[in-house]
Amino acid sequence: MPRVIGVDIPPNKRLEIALTYIYGVGRTTSAQICKDLNLDPGMRARDLNEDQLTVIANHIQKTYSVEGQLRRQVTASINRLRDIACYRGLRHRRGLPTRGQRTRTNARTRKGPRKTVAGKKSVKGMK
Amino acid sequence: MSRSIKKGPYVDAKVMKKVTALKKSGKKDPITTWARACTILPDFVGLTFLVHNGKHHMKVLVTEDMVGHKLGEFAPTRRFGGHTNKKEEEKSSLHTEGG
Repeated sequence: MPRVIGVDIPPNKRLEIALTYIYGVGRTTSAQICKDLNLDPGMRARDLNEDQLTVIANHIQKTYSVEGQLRRQVTASINRLRDIACYRGLRHRRGLPTRGQRTRTNARTRKGPRKTVAGKKSVKGMK
Repeated sequence: MSRSIKKGPYVDAKVMKKVTALKKSGKKDPITTWARACTILPDFVGLTFLVHNGKHHMKVLVTEDMVGHKLGEFAPTRRFGGHTNKKEEEKSSLHTEGG
């Protein structure tokens, strides 16, 4: 199994898709990488030789921030919002959506599983 | 959609006037304002603003990290005190009836 950037082990997939298994590389970035390095996006990841792997790894590390570095960047910017106590930061603290979505219903991704409150009227009853 | 770069950041004219006056005098008095939509410029760092939240003026001490945000982002307009517990509510109403 080929390894690119530490732990990532993309399997028997097209190179274009295999690269997206790296955190921070999506379809667009992946296609761009193939184009920049003149690699066939349709080739299987297992067919890559050692040289190609190092070239890909170097190119990604030079051009993009991926994996741990990117994760750290994301947490750092969220923590910045929290620390300055702006509206978005407050929403992050409370675990609610930060971009003005409704929270009366839905918003389950941020709020997690429903916590039923006894005695509260059902959604049907509210209408 | 974000604001066109051509226009530059939106800064309330009155706030800007007060800031420049304050900078000149060298004092650190808080600036009372209703201009929640005003962008925080690097010049504002270290100043205190009293930003209106619809009811009161909230104290906002501008730090370096706040540059680029709007004044209103630091003065929440809603207050949520949490839901009342139904059992406790009944208890308290019983107490008031008994008393």
